[in-house]
Amino acid sequence: MTTRASELSPDATGPSELSPDPTGDPDSWTNRLRGWFEGLVPAGQALPDRQPVYVASWIYVFGVLTLTALVVVIASGVVLSLGGATWWHVSSVGHYVNSVHLWSVELFFGFMVIHLWGNFWMAAWRGRRAMTWITGIVLFLISIGTSFTGFLSQSNFSAQWIAAEGKDGINSIGAGAFFNVLNPAQMLLWHVVLLPLSVGLLTLLHIILVRRHGVVPPLDARLEN
Amino acid sequence: MSALSIVAEGPGKYIHWGVIQISVANAIIIAVMVLLFILALVVPFPTHDDQADEGHSR
Repeated sequence: MTTRASELSPDATGPSELSPDPTGDPDSWTNRLRGWFEGLVPAGQALPDRQPVYVASWIYVFGVLTLTALVVVIASGVVLSLGGATWWHVSSVGHYVNSVHLWSVELFFGFMVIHLWGNFWMAAWRGRRAMTWITGIVLFLISIGTSFTGFLSQSNFSAQWIAAEGKDGINSIGAGAFFNVLNPAQMLLWHVVLLPLSVGLLTLLHIILVRRHGVVPPLDARLEN
Repeated sequence: MSALSIVAEGPGKYIHWGVIQISVANAIIIAVMVLLFILALVVPFPTHDDQADEGHSR
């Protein structure tokens, strides 16, 4: 644990005392990593309090609504993982949290699809935003897989039926050897570890890209301005 | 709980339109999403300009 030089001596104004890197070595991995972090998003754009005037439209709200629903999905999923299958099947509170998890997922997908429609019809890949669009589409596809493994992890007859119906489809694409929908333990681990990790990291990348390149303007924004 | 079980076990209502077959529940959800999308495009978004006496641009 270190303390900034300015906190130790309020009167310190010399560059050597205020410098964040006392060694001054630009090639140190600490300096390079810090520079990389600082360069991810332009200064002041990480959490901006002002946006271009065209952002004042409800269609721009659905991205953050999707993110909000995802937070509820993850939070309720964490609570479900604490209680376990027996708890969410027999307990009243478990039923409630299970329902919160389900309906927040429903809202997550609804908001995400409307967000996708809005960005598709705005051609949101314009202005060097191709990776923002691609990460969004990949997120959509991984989210479908996460939802699928979630239905397989319910530990009830519905999960068994979905697994029995889904195995032929998965086998037909050659993925059954390493992705066995009839194996509840494997599906549960995909659902609570691998896929949420992928969704979380890609969401972070997606948001960084949005903040890095800014919100896409409407197609006719230049004509109006 | 028993009423919910009866609803869950009942046969679903489906719309058949040529090769397209969709449950009424899913069709309603899609219709609501399309409605929300249209409303998001046409309903004006409240801005500071609407509330403030002075007309500062955002």
